[in-house]
Amino acid sequence: MISKDFIQPQRQSVAGILITAIHLLRLAVKVIIFPLVLLFIKIKANVFYLMLIIATLFILSVIYAYFYFIKFTFHINASKQEFIVDKGVFNRTHLGIPLEKIQQVNIDQTLVQKIIGVYSVKIDTAGAESKEVSIGAIDEELAYNLKQQLLQNPILHQENIPVQNEDINTSAFIKISPLTLLKTGLTSNYGQSLLLLCGFIYAIVHYIKEVLKAFNNDKGQIEHFMNSSLTLFSISFLIPIVLLILLATNVIRTFIKYFDFEISRHNHSLLISSGLFAKKNTLITPNKVQITTYNQNYFQRKMKLFNLELKQAHGGHDQSDKEKRNANLILPGCSPVEKDDIIKLILSQLPANGKVYKPNFRFLNLPIFFKIIIPLVVYTILYLNTDVVKPFLLAAILYALIGITMLYISYKNHQITVTDEFIIKQSGIWDITHEIITPHKIQTIAAFQYPWHKGLDIGHVNLHTAAGTIHFKFGNYTQIKKLVNWWLFQVESSNQNWM
Amino acid sequence: MSFPFVFHEILSCKKIILVAVFKRAYAPFHKMQDFTNQPIDLDSLPQYQETPLNKPSSKYWKVIVINIFIFLILIGLGISVLVMSDQDIKAYLYLILSGYIFLALILFIIFRISLNKRGFALRDKDVIYKDGVIAETTTIVPLSRIQHVELNEGIFSRMFGLGTIEIYTAAGSEGKISLAGIEIELAKNIKEALIKRLDYTQAEQ
Repeated sequence: MISKDFIQPQRQSVAGILITAIHLLRLAVKVIIFPLVLLFIKIKANVFYLMLIIATLFILSVIYAYFYFIKFTFHINASKQEFIVDKGVFNRTHLGIPLEKIQQVNIDQTLVQKIIGVYSVKIDTAGAESKEVSIGAIDEELAYNLKQQLLQNPILHQENIPVQNEDINTSAFIKISPLTLLKTGLTSNYGQSLLLLCGFIYAIVHYIKEVLKAFNNDKGQIEHFMNSSLTLFSISFLIPIVLLILLATNVIRTFIKYFDFEISRHNHSLLISSGLFAKKNTLITPNKVQITTYNQNYFQRKMKLFNLELKQAHGGHDQSDKEKRNANLILPGCSPVEKDDIIKLILSQLPANGKVYKPNFRFLNLPIFFKIIIPLVVYTILYLNTDVVKPFLLAAILYALIGITMLYISYKNHQITVTDEFIIKQSGIWDITHEIITPHKIQTIAAFQYPWHKGLDIGHVNLHTAAGTIHFKFGNYTQIKKLVNWWLFQVESSNQNWM
Repeated sequence: MSFPFVFHEILSCKKIILVAVFKRAYAPFHKMQDFTNQPIDLDSLPQYQETPLNKPSSKYWKVIVINIFIFLILIGLGISVLVMSDQDIKAYLYLILSGYIFLALILFIIFRISLNKRGFALRDKDVIYKDGVIAETTTIVPLSRIQHVELNEGIFSRMFGLGTIEIYTAAGSEGKISLAGIEIELAKNIKEALIKRLDYTQAEQ
């Protein structure tokens, strides 16, 4: 039944039944466990019944999973050059994906899959009719075979960068050591980790309250505890602890995601693998990368570290966060040499020095008005009329000063550099980001101007690509128009495709 | 070895070696004399901002007016139900009425301005679309980046023989343009021409 060229429709690995069943069970348990436990506590029923319910659920899941397994087939239609998946127990779905539309093939392994010894294959597509297909359980050999078959598309490889012979090997050429990961973890993603931490603490408090409510014991202990502990002394004590937890979460997150990070070359594409518990493999082809970005903050500059991100086409629809994560590859903690190596590999050369375009100082007007002046006016009105906000005078002054400084830094950092081959946008306040695109990745150009800027000759330009938009604001409009004509010439005079 | 690469190598060589390398490297190139590499004069490139633009059909204003009236009637019905049912609101009748008229005026003015500013042009290699009420935006889509083209006919547009052309790119909703209020015959022709162009560029690649 199982053939290596995938011409015949074939099923997943038999272990797939178990994977699907466990997945379903987890979903079901996640939804019902909490109300169920509460119910059981309320009516004081035997734990045995709880186990019985879960066991029944498991059996139902296995039965469904069996039929799902039987009905799930996939194959490659060689004549139509399509990858075809038929699936669905009650509603049958027939998916046909043209091979040339396949953007990326990911081979992943979750913890459960690791134990059973199978892999999942996820196929990302680009284009207006974007769909994502995933095959839940497949042997390692078959998975890599399938990936090779799917990406072995003659059309795609024509316009690739010229590759020398020594490039065709599969040895890892970039590895990121635990020490580098530690450094990266300590210096990046503060905002994300803070949000995560807040969400986590909120969830815990919420759950504790729910449990207390269930036992009819909620007399506001938590609120009381919080109020009593929020004295000035405890806050000064609390802040370092929060910072410490923040750094720790950051480091742990970085390690879970990027442990054993490796990039190796496979013919024309890059294989990236990383992960502590679940190993994630991603294969990308350089010419499908739309925007190449790297960023660095103050600490990272001192340590000579860069974070690289390769953004791929997202098929022109709004993505969920998960999809974004899959389409955008983040390479944490590269050295300057490694950064240059990867950029060279993706763009076939390093951007040379070009002409730099900077924004007019009016860049600052609107943000200062909305973010500084309006809040300050509101504060002043409150200050004059009530006593509530009076103790925060220092905070308000600090806010204004820090706010203006930050806006000024963002204005100083906002610029584009244009060379013959590239457009490089620089921006950021703390993390300074460079986004690099080649003109032929541009899908649409939009230049615009407000009427009150006509006399000043100030205008803006947006370069829309399949992986997001590059904005340049408050530039000299005459120059922008010249650039637009130049980019249009570059896009329209060559028949280089964007993908 | 690619052509520009060889060329670069030659530039960095000394004169004597140059001749030797030149003979060796360029022997297979018969079209050598045809190759030129003049610097591009940026000012002599085609200027998008000087392209004469086509206006939407004058009948399109009627479609807009009908749509505004429908919107205003719906809002008016909502307000009258509210006023009838609540005595307290009745006291503010004149205020509400003047607000309503103000809204109607603003709508007509905004749509008139927006219509006057709209324009589109088809060039050899791209489509230009200009619009905007406050900011004046010029959007340009190179033909080789078009994913697909749609022709939509709304119910009122159809009454006046108009259509809307929607041009999609891989950049999604942000990179899309729609040319509204075009005479249906012209719209069909434009769509036809764009699609033909699409097939042509795709076949080329």
